[in-house]
Amino acid sequence: MINLAQRETKLMVAVHGWSGILLGLLLYAVVVTGTAAVFADEIGTWSAGHVATQSAFARPHGKVIERLGAQTPSKYREAVDLFETGDHDLGVFFHRHETDAAGNLISRGVFYRLDEASRVVEQRPATNEEVFGATNDNALSSFLVETHVRLHVPNPWGLLLTGILGLAMLVAAVSGLLIHRHLFKDIFTLRRAAKPVLFNRDRHNVAGTWSLPFAFVLAFTGSFFSFYGTVGIPIVAMAAFGGDVEALNETVYGNPGKPDARPAAMSGTDRAFADAIRRAGDAPTFAAIENFGRADAKLTTYHPPSEGGLAPISLLYEAGTGAFVQVKPLIGQRPSTGGTLAAIMSPLHFGNFAGVLSKGVWFGLGFAMCYVIYTGLRLWLVRREAEARSLDWLSRSVVVVGLGLPLALLVTAAVFLLTKPLDTAVYWVPTGFVLASLALIVAGAVWSSAAAYARALVLWSGLAMLALPILRLVTGGPGWSTALTASQPVIVALDCALLLAGGWMTWQRLGSHLRSGRSDRLVLEPAE
Amino acid sequence: MQPTARRWTRVALAGPGAIVTAVVMMAGMTQWLPSGTAGIDNLVLPLVLLPILWAALFFHACLDRRLGRVAIVAGGLLLVHAGLLAYAFTAGHPTAVKEKGR
Repeated sequence: MINLAQRETKLMVAVHGWSGILLGLLLYAVVVTGTAAVFADEIGTWSAGHVATQSAFARPHGKVIERLGAQTPSKYREAVDLFETGDHDLGVFFHRHETDAAGNLISRGVFYRLDEASRVVEQRPATNEEVFGATNDNALSSFLVETHVRLHVPNPWGLLLTGILGLAMLVAAVSGLLIHRHLFKDIFTLRRAAKPVLFNRDRHNVAGTWSLPFAFVLAFTGSFFSFYGTVGIPIVAMAAFGGDVEALNETVYGNPGKPDARPAAMSGTDRAFADAIRRAGDAPTFAAIENFGRADAKLTTYHPPSEGGLAPISLLYEAGTGAFVQVKPLIGQRPSTGGTLAAIMSPLHFGNFAGVLSKGVWFGLGFAMCYVIYTGLRLWLVRREAEARSLDWLSRSVVVVGLGLPLALLVTAAVFLLTKPLDTAVYWVPTGFVLASLALIVAGAVWSSAAAYARALVLWSGLAMLALPILRLVTGGPGWSTALTASQPVIVALDCALLLAGGWMTWQRLGSHLRSGRSDRLVLEPAE
Repeated sequence: MQPTARRWTRVALAGPGAIVTAVVMMAGMTQWLPSGTAGIDNLVLPLVLLPILWAALFFHACLDRRLGRVAIVAGGLLLVHAGLLAYAFTAGHPTAVKEKGR
């Protein structure tokens, strides 16, 4: 039980309400896309129809990487990023670090893509932004992540915006906790027989209270990520290194050892990857070689947390021989409080520390957060309905964003499935989203009422979910037997999830319509 | 102080005041936090703690009835950390750390 004086409770209620109403719609957009992005990898596999399951790091690409290093201009051998791209192809990005005209640190070099037989299927000069940006294969998952991370607003403003939204969520979570006079009672109070406003407030309270710790963790880690590079790094570099960001990065992320610029063969990568997979129990998600072609070259592999662990693992190798050097903390050369705290931010935010199980829990809690934000906005509006009838536009906006945004994302997925075979998905995915959003906004403005529009949106979303698996098959995606034969159950699981959710939503709308003979019973009472 | 003036002072302390103080504290903490076994705690912990610092200052400004105490706490933290930074710059500490970092 929390005992806050009446005056402070009133203030906290105001802070809770206004933090939600001022930034709630944008926050909702960030949380919805973040919830979907928990399964970004799986959505990428499902949408692109990837059926390969063997990691690119488990294949012997070492000799080809060494050859590519020899043919790449020496100025780009400062560092090499290795990562999976497409259907378990290997991306190899030889680069050096530069400062662009705007003073931002960038990586510039040559990018290669190797297929499963180590053939070079793509080769081009590139910057890090181009290498790690959207491709035709991952346009949908990349779009989801980009929306969540920066709402497509250019850097650094997008990150600053989502950072501020994270702080607003932190404020809403803490003030929500403080205004609960009977926290434990509220967790179980759901008065079904009460008036709709009271019943809906109970639902908001129950969902909000259960997901309170999660909201706090998400808001804290999310704002940490947003402010880390935009505000934190430049200011800490200024305070401790006179503004030299590279020196800060070298201290925090650098590898141990003395410089040795003598040329050396880089024949240890295959051995290092095999050893890393054995030690970590899983293939790396990313690897980096620094000082490629030199005697002091080091290879670092990055892995998801091991079973029962929370912090991701990284292993350090001599790149020339593949000899294991040490288990390396993600941050710093030795384990430390700061390094560990910073390292667990990522699994805490993304929920990827225990595979599909933790991702499922994070998805569910993210969904609960969406519900809490949406119902919170509705409650705020209902309380002011009597005193301010001019809030109809806000009521419509809440419906357009709350129910229209998920539908726009479903339409975007359909656009991806249609345009990927044409190799135009990178252009059409964001364009499709904008067009769908505009259409839904216009429809929301002219529809007879916000409640009627909400009912229509639920029905359309259900139908869109039912249509997506069919569209995936029609546009050349692998069938269930092909996916299961290739040990790729993700495709089948996502198809089933869409069919079940879509079927339930459609049945709710149409069933209610058929049962009552009228279509205004079901979805959104004013207080929902 | 008039109620309206008190309200706006509180808003200023909880809004821009909390942001400025949290950012200056983050920078200043690099000067006094122990660097730890890996030599990075003083650099990484302030980055991690920034949202918490801001939230603590924000809620203190909202909930403490004594506005003077809010101003003293936030102002004191701001001055101490700004002073540490000013000392580090005038004594050339950032350059020294830079050399060590390399």
